[in-house]
Amino acid sequence: MTGEELVPAEVHEHVMAEAARIQAWGEAAERTARDEVNQATINTWLDAMGIDNQRFSAGEAPPSMAQVWTMYGLGGTPADDDPLHAMMRVLTDAGFTAVLGTNSEQTYDRYLEVGERLRITTALDSVVGPKATGMGVGYFVTSRSTWYVDTVAEGTGEVTAEKVATMLFRVLKFIPAKAEA
Amino acid sequence: MSRAIEAGARLPEWSLPITPTIVVSTALATRDFQDVHHDRDRAQAAGSKDIFVNILTSTALCERYVTAWAGDQVQILGIAIRLGAPAYPYDTLTFTGEVTEVAEDDGRRVATVKVVGAVSLGNHVIGTVKVAVGGSAA
Repeated sequence: MTGEELVPAEVHEHVMAEAARIQAWGEAAERTARDEVNQATINTWLDAMGIDNQRFSAGEAPPSMAQVWTMYGLGGTPADDDPLHAMMRVLTDAGFTAVLGTNSEQTYDRYLEVGERLRITTALDSVVGPKATGMGVGYFVTSRSTWYVDTVAEGTGEVTAEKVATMLFRVLKFIPAKAEA
Repeated sequence: MSRAIEAGARLPEWSLPITPTIVVSTALATRDFQDVHHDRDRAQAAGSKDIFVNILTSTALCERYVTAWAGDQVQILGIAIRLGAPAYPYDTLTFTGEVTEVAEDDGRRVATVKVVGAVSLGNHVIGTVKVAVGGSAA
């Protein structure tokens, strides 16, 4: 059985056409973090993770908190132009209703500092499938997020965007195996 | 302080008993309000046995594990994780790790540490942590 026969050809063609359309958006869903990197949020995170490191009470933020600053939060909803969520909607509507996070690959150019405010963009990196997995038949959807700190030059007002962190995030969107019978 | 780090070095095993408090407090501390990380009824309705540790926390625990061993002053450059079995309350998440490579990069010594966090159901997280561990090798 070839990969394409795991799902009807017209469904696969629709999924891949939508993927190409959303990929063409490039770095989209640009947002600025609600809050600056701040000590109270860092302290709550340190308590929960059980970390005691003097650096994180002296102005630096833990590197893997990069993603925390731009989370949508309670009641927050992704923008319509968020490529990951747009692709997830396409797959949900095509019957691939279940989701499972499979990979997160983060890079940190430097540790962030209290007082900085992050900006994030997200692009659809790839959609690969259909694949028959232990969970069911589905597509792997990979997005790429980039975090920036913008600095405004005094005098000229020129804005410099400094990339500070990246994330490649992959999910499996699938039809639950037990639902296929 | 950071330690002398060589390829082949093994990190001491570290076990973290997973409690509902850990699952919920870490999910909220990472600003992840998905109900499967704090509401057992909703998690079970979605087909899970219980609430489970979120992905940002799996990443953070890799950061904690490697930093606690390498030294508070090291710079973590990247954490790449592959996710497996869920980490549920009342299970134990046990980390092991090994330095697979130490290379010179832009005047720094950069170690690649492979870490595995296992629960009773299998590997919860398999991670690769890149960490700058100081200046040039002597």
